[in-house]
Amino acid sequence: MDASLALQYLVIAIAVIASIGFIANNKFPNATRKLRVALAVPLVREGRPSWLRAIGRKIAPPPKASGTCGSCDKCG
Amino acid sequence: MSAVPADSMRAPLRLALAGNPNCGKTALFNRLTGSRQKVANYAGVTVERKEGRFNGSDGRVYAVLDLPGAYSLNAASLDEAVTRDVIRGFYPGEAEPDVIVCVADATNLRLHLRFALELREIGKPMILAVNMMDAARRRGIAIDLPKLQEELGIPVVETVAVQRHGAAALIDAIESMGRHMAPPAKSLGVDIAHDADELHERTRALLAATVTMPTRTAKIDDALDRWLLHPVVGLLALAVVMFLIFQAVYAWAAPLMDGIDAATEWLGAAVGEALPEGPLNSLLVDGVIAGLGGVIVFLPQILILFFFILALEESGYLPRAAFLLDRMMAGAGLSGRSFIPLLSSFACAIPGIMATRSIQDPRDRIATIMVAPLMTCSARLPVYALLIGAFVPEREVGPFNQQGLVLFGLYIAGILSALVVSFVMKKWRRLRATDGGEHALLLELPSYRLPNPRDVLIGLWERAVIFLKRVGGIILALTILLWFLLSFPGAPEGATGPAIDYSFAGRIGHALAFLFAPLGFNWQICIALIPGLAAREVAVASLATVYAVAGVDDDASAQALAPLIADGWSLATALSLLVWYIYAPMCIATLATIKRETGSWKRMAGVAGYLFALAWLASFVTYRVALALGAG
Repeated sequence: MDASLALQYLVIAIAVIASIGFIANNKFPNATRKLRVALAVPLVREGRPSWLRAIGRKIAPPPKASGTCGSCDKCG
Repeated sequence: MSAVPADSMRAPLRLALAGNPNCGKTALFNRLTGSRQKVANYAGVTVERKEGRFNGSDGRVYAVLDLPGAYSLNAASLDEAVTRDVIRGFYPGEAEPDVIVCVADATNLRLHLRFALELREIGKPMILAVNMMDAARRRGIAIDLPKLQEELGIPVVETVAVQRHGAAALIDAIESMGRHMAPPAKSLGVDIAHDADELHERTRALLAATVTMPTRTAKIDDALDRWLLHPVVGLLALAVVMFLIFQAVYAWAAPLMDGIDAATEWLGAAVGEALPEGPLNSLLVDGVIAGLGGVIVFLPQILILFFFILALEESGYLPRAAFLLDRMMAGAGLSGRSFIPLLSSFACAIPGIMATRSIQDPRDRIATIMVAPLMTCSARLPVYALLIGAFVPEREVGPFNQQGLVLFGLYIAGILSALVVSFVMKKWRRLRATDGGEHALLLELPSYRLPNPRDVLIGLWERAVIFLKRVGGIILALTILLWFLLSFPGAPEGATGPAIDYSFAGRIGHALAFLFAPLGFNWQICIALIPGLAAREVAVASLATVYAVAGVDDDASAQALAPLIADGWSLATALSLLVWYIYAPMCIATLATIKRETGSWKRMAGVAGYLFALAWLASFVTYRVALALGAG
């Protein structure tokens, strides 16, 4: 396989994964969040190498805002 | 002018426009905010949320929320519940408004003042905008605004939302109130939520003190209604209007759709030539460009349809059309307002489903969405044309062409199926109803008026953005995935069959063959059904691919395919496939739109499930009966 074809396959893989991610994130947000938590938790445990923990933090979903709606600036 | 504290200048003042439907609230919203609007849905529901901003002369920013129309705070619909909760500051994720701007139609204060009184009892800072004052003056209606202001204890201003400076008095009042926000000075002192008689009494007293009205309705309205609401003439007029809409959606859109098609083909060819042959070329040309083109091509139909819907709604005719048709539609479990969405579903179910937004009753809206895919959309025509051309002899039956009669029969079968399904749903709803069953259609028949071009254009722009954002995103992602399934893995070295046969989609087609064998479908048909998920008409091109027929376009493919399938398939199989396509839930764009519009995967799965079950059963019965009659 030449470099051009390999690059094409790489772009296709990214497009397909991005499409799956888009659909999952938009259509199944709760399930996607649970999956990200499940994937991230083992990676960020004590004793893991720092690079692995960094990946885990990247995978982990952002924390849910509690008690605030995020739609106004009245929360202080 | 008094000084405004710096911190209060930073935070936008939140205004909520509230009022009865048809009071000119949205026109006023457009007048205040221009094109600086954001359209979305309220969290968790499919009620449209419109917010816009404008800057006051003092530099302050005002955030304006156009609330759904409501007749009362005692909510009888989802729209009214959203309005009630947002105004009271209970709606999750919505900031409480600082000032309520109640918009009332000056020509119909008898109805609209009741809601103003209800709103005033909430005790928030409030302004009453008496809108359409120009129309009221023309009809000789005299409103004593200072007296009304005194009686209500809130600022009262006059507006003419469709005129350039028609909201100047309102903006002045808002700016003035922004500095000295105070709740209403007066209160009824009674619980109007539970004392409707008292509310009516107060409204009557207020009208008697402040409004002089020569007649309750305009002469021109009465004259037009005598004809347009006539049981015979009215229906004929409606038929003419509908015929015009139908023609326009088909005929006016055709050149634009052809243009988009040509642009898509040109772009595909240009990108195809610019990139070297390979999988990336195929992804961009066959996946992304063809996928996006396949979505955008419906935009002209959607815009033309919504142009008519918006214009008819603004003119006051749409509620009258719904009133005329309600009795007929109610018999089948739908409402008069279902008619236009269902009619437009003949062009494409997507604009039809989006048009159900004009149906206020959520149950009627869901029922209409559920049956809209049964209307024969234009995408089915290539499949029908292929199969009828291959299997139905072209001969005259009396004055009619036999092929035309079969096509007509397929359309009628779709309409009858929709009526039967909605009737069954109605019966089922009654069995499950806990609130007394069906809701009667309650309609306000507003005065006739000329649609304002600015409001219609803003409405069309919003529809276009919603369509492209909502359908385009998911369709693009699904098209890429579908392309992947159709293209990978490629055919092995020395393979003789079509490449699709070796792909994931091909394997799925082979795996599905057992499910469709009782319907007389061979594996080639099963494979063609999979890319047909993107759009039904793609099935013809897919059959051409599977049968290794190369045509420059769908028509050429169909012409080349017809003799092949006429030799290879039995008549029973062809009839079974025709019947399959009456019901087939095979359009991802439609299903995605149903999901978007209902906000429910369950409902989308319900539609897909019942359509699949109907398609399978009807095809099975057709195949078996055809075999029994010797059509095998």
